[in-house]
Amino acid sequence: MEADFKLTSELHADVLVINTSGYVNNEGGEKIAEEFDKHFENGVKKVIINLEKSKVVNSIGISFLIEIIDKLTEEDGKLIFTNLESAIDKMLTIMGLFNYAGKEATVESALKTFNT
Amino acid sequence: MDENIKLKMMLPKIPDIELVAIEGMDRMARHMGIPDEKISEAHVLVTEAVINAFEHSGQKNPLVQVEFTMTLEKLTIFVRDFGKGFKLEDIEDPDIDKKLGSPHKRGWGLKLMESMSDDFKVDSNEKGTKITIIKNLQ
Repeated sequence: MEADFKLTSELHADVLVINTSGYVNNEGGEKIAEEFDKHFENGVKKVIINLEKSKVVNSIGISFLIEIIDKLTEEDGKLIFTNLESAIDKMLTIMGLFNYAGKEATVESALKTFNT
Repeated sequence: MDENIKLKMMLPKIPDIELVAIEGMDRMARHMGIPDEKISEAHVLVTEAVINAFEHSGQKNPLVQVEFTMTLEKLTIFVRDFGKGFKLEDIEDPDIDKKLGSPHKRGWGLKLMESMSDDFKVDSNEKGTKITIIKNLQ
């Protein structure tokens, strides 16, 4: 089980894609939020968080993602999660995140959603 | 098969120590031949129970006791802290509609444990808190 959290990010036109690997705990969540903030300050309002390589998350880490949803909702932006492991999908469903964020199987399908 | 295996550990508060508990549980599951997809929801249960225990123990150098009992049919997760305890009725049920726009975005642990388990019990008093979670594996 990979504990060390890492992320990469890329811009696809006006869509920010954040790819994570490792445990999304409080530090991981904070790093995602910091990466988001850098781009949000520059006007990015469409965000994809790809959790393909994060098999364990905790609710403290997710609380930082709620902060991202909060900021995007205020600016008519949107967050889409991709590549969710089934237990994480269930966790986010119970927390009600999909009332305010989307989910797609892959980054490619999420990009299509933003571009249609 | 009525094999029943147990793992008991005492965790100190160091970063990501909950992953040690998950590793132990995964190893038990592999020994029992239980597929990964059956145990993945238990990862959330263990993570939330352990971080919750450390967060709310109210101690300077807390220890958290974790015990797993696994059969092919079910997993029992027992998590105990030795802190000041809490009253269940004082814990507000988290609601995403209220969390958005509020500075307080945390407080999901108990809801997740209750929702993702097949049975969930909390016994808390001034000597600590015991949480018992059952997860069916079939």
